[in-house]
Amino acid sequence: MKTLSVSALAVLGAVSRAVRYGFDIMDATGLPSGTVYPVLGRLERDGYVRSRWESQVLAQREKRPPRRYYEITASGARALAESAEHYRTLGARLGIPARRTPAK
Amino acid sequence: MMHDEPSRDARAAYDRCMRIVHAASVLVPDRRRDEWTREWSGELWYRALLLDRARASDHHGERRLVVRTFGAIPHALWTLTDEMRIDPMLQDLKYAMRGLVKRPAFAALIVATLALGIGANTAMFSIVNSVLFRPLPYERPAELVYMYGAFRQGSQAMVSPPDYLDYRDRNSVFSSLAARTVFGTAVITGSTEPERVASSIASANFFTTLGVKPYRGRVFLPEEEQADHAVAILSFGLWQRRYAGDVRIIGKTIPIDGRPHTVIGIMPPVLDRTMDVQIWRPIPFRTNEMSVRRFHFLRLVGRLKPGVTIAQAQRHMDGIARDLAAQYPENESWRLSLVPYRDVVIGGVGPVLLVLLGAVGVVLLIACGNVASLLLARASARSGEMAVRTALGAGRSRLVRQLLTESLLLGVAAGVAGLVLGHYLLVAVRAVGDGMLPRLAEVEIDGTVLAFTFGVSLLTSLVFGAAPALHAARTDLAAMMKSLGKSSATRTGVSTRDVLVVAQVALSVVLLVGAGLLVRSLWRLQDVKTGFDPSGLVAGSVSLPPTKYTNRDAEVRFWDQLFERVRAIPGVESVAATTLFPLRGGGDTYFYIDGRPPATDADKMNATVSSVTEDYFTTMRIPLISGRVFNASDRAGAGVMIVSDALARRLFPGASALGKRLVVDFGKPFVGEIVGVVGDVRIYGQANDAPEVMYFASRQPNAGWGMGFGNLATRVRGDPEAVASQLRAAVRALDPDVPLSAIQSVESILYDSVAAPRFRTQLLVGFAAVALILAVVGLYGMLAYSVTQRSREMGIRLALGARPTAVFRMVIRQGMALVVVGIVLGVAGAFAATRLLAAQLFTVRATDPMVFGSVAITLAVAGLAACIVPARRATKADPISALRME
Repeated sequence: MKTLSVSALAVLGAVSRAVRYGFDIMDATGLPSGTVYPVLGRLERDGYVRSRWESQVLAQREKRPPRRYYEITASGARALAESAEHYRTLGARLGIPARRTPAK
Repeated sequence: MMHDEPSRDARAAYDRCMRIVHAASVLVPDRRRDEWTREWSGELWYRALLLDRARASDHHGERRLVVRTFGAIPHALWTLTDEMRIDPMLQDLKYAMRGLVKRPAFAALIVATLALGIGANTAMFSIVNSVLFRPLPYERPAELVYMYGAFRQGSQAMVSPPDYLDYRDRNSVFSSLAARTVFGTAVITGSTEPERVASSIASANFFTTLGVKPYRGRVFLPEEEQADHAVAILSFGLWQRRYAGDVRIIGKTIPIDGRPHTVIGIMPPVLDRTMDVQIWRPIPFRTNEMSVRRFHFLRLVGRLKPGVTIAQAQRHMDGIARDLAAQYPENESWRLSLVPYRDVVIGGVGPVLLVLLGAVGVVLLIACGNVASLLLARASARSGEMAVRTALGAGRSRLVRQLLTESLLLGVAAGVAGLVLGHYLLVAVRAVGDGMLPRLAEVEIDGTVLAFTFGVSLLTSLVFGAAPALHAARTDLAAMMKSLGKSSATRTGVSTRDVLVVAQVALSVVLLVGAGLLVRSLWRLQDVKTGFDPSGLVAGSVSLPPTKYTNRDAEVRFWDQLFERVRAIPGVESVAATTLFPLRGGGDTYFYIDGRPPATDADKMNATVSSVTEDYFTTMRIPLISGRVFNASDRAGAGVMIVSDALARRLFPGASALGKRLVVDFGKPFVGEIVGVVGDVRIYGQANDAPEVMYFASRQPNAGWGMGFGNLATRVRGDPEAVASQLRAAVRALDPDVPLSAIQSVESILYDSVAAPRFRTQLLVGFAAVALILAVVGLYGMLAYSVTQRSREMGIRLALGARPTAVFRMVIRQGMALVVVGIVLGVAGAFAATRLLAAQLFTVRATDPMVFGSVAITLAVAGLAACIVPARRATKADPISALRME
């Protein structure tokens, strides 16, 4: 399995914490929209996330167009774990103390 | 929950952002665009609503939203690249690179083979592109029309100055109509050695008609053609060479033909490339010699008015010609013949170039065949690799794409190498082919050529890459796995490589036949009897300044004194002069048999005129058929003349021409008695028939046009080139104002005269040789490979008691079968293709059996040679190791 890039790791991490919408992911990761969307596209193509459209009923009640949201898949969760482990090992090897990713 | 409508501000922010999204969406592939836009619009609307809530606390929210929306552009780009699968393509490319770098010799062989073909194509296409396709370097060249004088259908005569002025004044189809002379020369004296240069007199509007602006100074003024104005315009080349590019020459006077002329301008370099003229002077239309309608010596160039076709212009000018003929009897049956200017510049070279371009195309095809064959061989060597990749889940299309990527990589590398090679080929062609092709100086590699080379490289990659790719697509996994680790395969049926060999042989046959026909035609051309003996002859042109040598006596005196000095040079056998030298100049006039004046203009006869000194025929070794040659006593008194055999037989068939008298038009009629008949001479080159010639004694007044411009013919023992400097010294010692130019051995003049056919023959022979080598290498490679593959089979055959000769014969038979099929197909193809060459052939038929036969034999022999080495190797297959492998 390929190791995820740092931005892919951040985005996938956000999605795994139920940050589901594109703009919310930007807020959560601090990454610009020009990075987040292509990363989401790649993650979806590789099967690590899947996207859905929120319910039409809900959107109509709120008089706005429906939003697209992303969910992590099982293989996405595995990739996230492995890549996080990879970076942790890398960090350890480089002498950087492990720290828990700050929760939001 | 948000039930409210967004505020007006929020709505405006949303609209602004959506404009960016819509703009970016054009990049998104159609299939995804709708969903893509909806995702952005959903987010933006939602965010716009949020803006309203946070407005109190967040003053920059709106701007941040817009900034974020610009992310839609990279997002759209990403979807685009994702759709085009650029990622996997890059992967293929990386993989292909690695594969090729691992086998540098293999890659280099392929790239070199292809680069040879692509380079030749690049060079040839550059020539075709510059000569045929690129417009002439004048303003709106399509409007330019060239005009010959014509008294018969298709003749390419000249136009007289008064006629030109009438055509210019009366026509309404040309926005501008200009005239110039096309054969003149002039002598520049002063400062350095006198020099004869190509010169032209032109109407004042000549340069503006072409749309050529002077590089420095100005062009002629309209009043400068009214009287005899001594002004001159220099070509860029002459200005650079003789005057060191010094602008101060403008306004200065230089002596031209013994008269001071004021330099008024310099022409741009572009004119040097298209016209071989170094000095331009205005036509003095008002002078006496420019006012005679019978003297035709101009060619016209006109610029058509917008919307006028050349056919319309021809009809219109014909109308004027009829008016002129009604007005002036000497214009009877004269008209103009209009031709697009481009056709005149390019001449008949178009079909030749296209044939050569086709030939290099064939060379490239053969090269592709070799490369395809190499790749196929490697494909079978790689079948293991392919099997493994297939087993690992690589789809068939993925494998094909992988192989095509490799081919493209090779093709592009070869394209780059070919471009470099093409550049150097062009440098060589420019150096060798000078004067043999029109517009050669304009030939260069430009954008069109780059696009062509790029296109050819891609096409080439597809052509040679197709076979291995299809091979991979067809192969079945199970068979590949089975063959893993085995190096042998038995031959069954006809393989792709066999087809390639046959095609290569056939294509080489076509090229070789074409080259063979041209070679034979060139031999025939060089074997043509010229009618005189060129060995040991030296020619040189002398022109006497008309201001100094004003009459016939002065001219005769000069020649007599010159001959005296030349005869004193050691090694000189004899010397003479003529106005009409083989392959240099000429002119003709009207005549009639005494007592039989022509009833109408249509009955007028004309023949070529040559004024000669007494020793001319002995010096040239032109045989005397009957009568006598001229002697020093042929001066005044009763006029005498000598005619060529062809003319004598036309005028007096079955009777002797001796004693008959002709009346010849030299402005005034000259009556001459025929005292001799001499052999015919091919004055206009070996490819052209000998003209009918009237010879006149140089000392005789009123006969001929004088000897002010003559060709010195000197017969020497030993090396002709050695006396050149002594000849020049003799002329200079006699009169330093007289230039002796174009000193050359006559043999080399004749050699040069077939330079153009020789050049294209050499090119085609070169291409054919490369084709033959490639085809033979291809055949050899195929057989050698096949023998290696079958070494186990051969070993077993030998072990089972087959005699080595039988094995040898088997391999030869296998190879030669392909060669024979190729030859048969090639001969059939050549029958069809060489028809394109028919117009270039001199007394050789396009179906010449000698050529076809010798090409077939050549290929058979070359093919046999290619078979022998692999066949011998087959007989050396070791039975023991073959059995051990089993």
